[in-house]
Amino acid sequence: MTPKTPKDASTTAPGTTPAPTGLSRRALLKTGAAAGAASLFPAPMLWAQNIKDVKIVHAGQSYSTIPNIAEQANKDLGFTVEMQTLDQTTQTNRMLTQPDTLDVVDVPNTSMKYFLGRDILMPLAVKDYKWWDKTVPLFTQGTYPNGEAYSMQGYAPIKAQYYTSEKAKEYSLTPTEWLVGVPLYYNADTIGIRPDLIDRPIESWADLLSSDFNGKVALQDGVAVGVPDAAMALEAMGDVTYVDKGNMTKEEIDATIDKLIAYKKDGHFRSFWTTFEQSVQLMASGEVVLESMWAPAVTEVRTRGIECKYNGMKEGYRGWYIMMMGMSHLDGLQRDCAIEYMNWYNSGWVGAFISRQGFYNSVPENVQPMMTENEYGYWYEGKAATDDILNPFGKVMETAGAVRDGGALWDRMGNIGIWNSLMDEDRYLVRRWQDFIAA
Amino acid sequence: MATRKRKRPASFYVLATLLGAYAVFLYAPMACVYVLSFQGPQGGMSFPMVGWSTHWFQVLFQGTGGQGVGDIPSAFRRSIRLALIVGVLTMIISVSAGMAYRRKFPGANFVFYSAIASMVLPGIFVGFGIALTFNLLGWRVNWFSSGIGAQLTWTLPFGMLIMFIVLGRFNPAYEEAATDLGANARQRFWMVIVPIILPGIIAITMASLTSSYEETARTQLNVGTGNTMPMEITGLLTAATSPVIFAVGTVTTFVSFSLVIASLLIMTRLAKRRSSRTAQ
Amino acid sequence: MKLNPKAVSLLQVAPMGIIFTAMVLVPLLIIIVVSFLDYDFARVFPEIYLGSWQDVLTSQLTLDLYETTFKFVAIVWVITFSLGFSIAYFLVFHVRTLQIRLMLLAAIAIPFWTSGPIRAVAWVPLLGREGLVNQALLGLGIVDQPVAWLMYSEFAILVAYIHLLTMPMVITISNSMMKIPGSIIQAAQDAGASEFQIIREIILPLARPGIAIGTIFVVTAVMGDFFIVKTMSGGQVNTATMAIVTELNAFQYPPAAAKSVLMLAIVLGLVALLLRFADIRKELTK
Repeated sequence: MTPKTPKDASTTAPGTTPAPTGLSRRALLKTGAAAGAASLFPAPMLWAQNIKDVKIVHAGQSYSTIPNIAEQANKDLGFTVEMQTLDQTTQTNRMLTQPDTLDVVDVPNTSMKYFLGRDILMPLAVKDYKWWDKTVPLFTQGTYPNGEAYSMQGYAPIKAQYYTSEKAKEYSLTPTEWLVGVPLYYNADTIGIRPDLIDRPIESWADLLSSDFNGKVALQDGVAVGVPDAAMALEAMGDVTYVDKGNMTKEEIDATIDKLIAYKKDGHFRSFWTTFEQSVQLMASGEVVLESMWAPAVTEVRTRGIECKYNGMKEGYRGWYIMMMGMSHLDGLQRDCAIEYMNWYNSGWVGAFISRQGFYNSVPENVQPMMTENEYGYWYEGKAATDDILNPFGKVMETAGAVRDGGALWDRMGNIGIWNSLMDEDRYLVRRWQDFIAA
Repeated sequence: MATRKRKRPASFYVLATLLGAYAVFLYAPMACVYVLSFQGPQGGMSFPMVGWSTHWFQVLFQGTGGQGVGDIPSAFRRSIRLALIVGVLTMIISVSAGMAYRRKFPGANFVFYSAIASMVLPGIFVGFGIALTFNLLGWRVNWFSSGIGAQLTWTLPFGMLIMFIVLGRFNPAYEEAATDLGANARQRFWMVIVPIILPGIIAITMASLTSSYEETARTQLNVGTGNTMPMEITGLLTAATSPVIFAVGTVTTFVSFSLVIASLLIMTRLAKRRSSRTAQ
Repeated sequence: MKLNPKAVSLLQVAPMGIIFTAMVLVPLLIIIVVSFLDYDFARVFPEIYLGSWQDVLTSQLTLDLYETTFKFVAIVWVITFSLGFSIAYFLVFHVRTLQIRLMLLAAIAIPFWTSGPIRAVAWVPLLGREGLVNQALLGLGIVDQPVAWLMYSEFAILVAYIHLLTMPMVITISNSMMKIPGSIIQAAQDAGASEFQIIREIILPLARPGIAIGTIFVVTAVMGDFFIVKTMSGGQVNTATMAIVTELNAFQYPPAAAKSVLMLAIVLGLVALLLRFADIRKELTK
C-alpha cells in the first residue's frame, strides 16, 4: 500500500508498513529523515495529533461508498472518513443547496455541467495528485492508449477533466495544471442478451428495435443513458441520421422522440429500468431478452445460473465515467486530508475492490499488485480465469475457464461509439421525453 | 359491538371471506419478501431460490461483509430515533391543534388549508424548498433541525385529520358534568378528554411513526450526513444488492407482530385485573 | 387568569401554524417565484420567463397527464372505498372483541412497516410473465400464453395503489364507525330495520367524516405519487406528479414549479369541494 500519512510515524504500532524507501517509518523519524519523507508526498506533512480530529464526509455512488472502503481508509489514514451513499438526484441537489455538508464527492462526469461556475467544487492542482502520470490517457490526454482520438459524441471524459485556470470557471479540452477531479472508475456498456431465448447472434444496436423482439426489450430510464442507447439503435436501424447523437439538435430530438413514440405505441418496450435490481430482475425473470445493461448486472444474472451475454456491438460501446472531487469549502488541514484521501483512493486497494465489481480503475498499474494474477488477467486482460473469480465480498462470480465478454480493457474501452450524455438542448429533450412517457 | 349474543347473519360470512381475500392480497407480495429473505448465500433478489439459508440474516446482524449491505444498522438507528421524536412531537402538536378546532377561531381556514397544501405539494419540492431556505439563511441542515421539520410537514397533516375524527361528535355532556363537579380546565383535559381520545392519540403516534420511518422525499435533502433507512435502501438498490434487504423486511414484520401481540396480551391482562377488581 | 377562548385556540394551534408557515409556506413562496424564472442546467436566473406557465397551461401534455391522473384517482377511490367500507364495517360491527379487532387492524397496517422500495421489488415475482399468478393461470388452463399486462402496465399501477391505500380507508372509516353509539343501531334493529337499511340510513351518513378524511388521504396520495407509477409501469406511464419528478431529476426547477403550483390549486379545489359534502370540521365545534 502506498501513501501513508505520518500518523504511522508517530504511533508505535505499524511495524508492518515499510516506507517506500525500505526503512521503517520509525527509523525514518529517528534518523531525522521525516522532512525527506514529507517531500515524497505532495500534501504537506500531516501530524497525527492534528489530523485525528479531522473528519471527511464522502458522498457518492453505491459502488464507491461501501463501508468496507471506509473501514480500510480509517485503518490506513490518520483521520476519519464517513461515507454516505446517495442516489444521483439527491446528491446533486445536496451539492447545490447544502455544499458545506459534504467534503468529497464522486459523481458521473455528465453532471459536471451543473457545477461549472458555481464555486462548489475545489480545483485540484495536477502536482497535488500523484498518480496523474500513471493515469490512463483516456483522461489525461483525451485519447486511447495508442494515441488515437476517441469519439466525442456524448460527454466524453476530456470534456470536463481540466479547468482552464485555478479560477475553475471553464473546462479546457487540452491539458492544464488544474484538474476538475480524480478519475475513479469507468466502463463500456452494451446490450445484455439472453442467448437461450434468442436463436441468432446479436451484433448491432439495431437489434434493440428489431421487430423480432417486440415486447421483450428494456432500456434504461431517463435522458442521460436511455436516449444515447436509443439513438445508437435508431441510427443503426437507419431510422434517424445524426450529426452528433450525443448532442442532438432540436430537429434530431423531434425525430428521435417521434420514432420512439411509434415503437412504444407498437408495444415494443417491456419496461424502462431505473435501478440495478430492476435490470437484473427483468433479465433473470425472462421479462426481456435484450436490454441495455451494466456489466455487474449481467454478472449477477449469470450467478443465478441463467445465461446472459454482454458482447460488444459493431457500432461500439456506450462509455461512462465517474470522477471524484473535493468541495470548495475545504481549507487548511481538512483540505490537505481530503487531497490525501483522494490520493489514497486511487493507490490500489480501492481500485482492486471496485474492479472486482466489474469496473475499471483509472490507474491500472496500482491495481495490478493488489489483485491476483488470475483476477487481473480476467478483469483487465481478457484472459480465461484459471480459478474462481470472486467479487469483493467473496461471492463466486465466474469459475475457471470463463472469459470476460468483449475481452481485455482496451478491446472494450477502446471502442466507444457514444458516451453518456447531457445535451445542450437538455431542456427541450426533457420536455419531449415527457411526451414519450405520456404516449 | 351492537350484535352481542346473536346468531351470525349471512353478511358475516360474506364479509369475513372478503377480509380473508384482502389479507391474501395484502400479504402476497410480502410473502415473496419473506421467502426470498431465506435465499441461499449465492442467490439474488428474485426467484429462483438458490438453496435455502439464514445467511442474509447473519449478514444483516453482523453489519458489513456482504454486497449491498451498506450501513443498514446505523441507518436503522437514525430512522428510529427520528421516528420516535417525530411521533411524539406530532402527537403533542396535533392534539393541541385539534383542541383548538373545537372552537371557531380566526385563522382556522389558514392552518387547515396549509395542512392540505403540505400533503399535496410534491415531497421533493417541499424538501428542496426547505434545503434552499436554509441555504439562503446560511444555516446548515441537520437531522435535529431541518430533518425533523421536514418530516413534520408530512406527519402533522395526518395527525390533524385524525384528531378531527377523534374529536368529532365528542359529547360535551362529559365535560359539562366534570365542570359541574368543579373540575378546572386542566383537570377536564387530563381526566375527561384524554382517557376518551387515548386510542386516537395512540393512532396518531403510530401513524406518524410509520410515515416518518417511510418518508424520503422531504427528508433526503434535509437530514444531513447520515442516511435514513429508506434512503439507504434506495441508495443500495441503484447498485448490486442482495437479499439482505428482504431480511430487513422479514425482521421488521416479525418484530412488529411480536410488539402488537405483546401489547395486546398486556392490555387483556390489565383489563382482566380491572374487571376482577371491580367485581370484588 | 381567564383567557378569551379564541385566544386559547390560537395558542393551541400556534405550533402547527408556525411549522407550516416556516416549512411549507416559505418553500411554497419560493416555488411560486421560481416558476416565473428562466433556467438552464440546474440554474435559475433572476429573469422573468413565462414559458413554463405557457407550456403548462396550453399543452396537450398537461391534458394527457391529468386525464391519466384523474382516471387513477377515480378507479382507486371507488375500489378502496368499497373495500375499505366493507372491511371497516366487518371489523366494527361483526368482530365481537376489541382485542381481535385491534389485532386485525394491526395486521392490516404491519406490511407497511417494510420500506416501499422493498415492497415494490416483490411485485415482479408475483405479476411478472413468469410470476406466480401467470403460472397459476397457465396451470389451471385459463390462458395458454403468459399474460403480459399484469405487470408494467396501468393495471399493475392500480393493483399497487389499492394494495397501499385500502389501509387508510379502513382505519379512518372504522374510527368513525366506532363512534356510532350501539344504542342507535339496537333501536333500529328493534324497529325491524334490515342490515342493509341500517347501513344505508344510519352507518353511511354517520361515518361520513371518516369517509371524507379517508378520501382526502387517497386522493392526495394518488395525486402525489410517482414511485408506484414509475416502478409498476416500468417508466411507461406519465402522470402529473411523475412529470414534475422527471423535471426535478433533470434539475429543471421552473417548469416543475409551475406544474406543482397547478397541481396544488387543483387538489385544494377538490378538497374544498369535498368539504361541501362533508364538513369534517363542523362536527368539532360544540
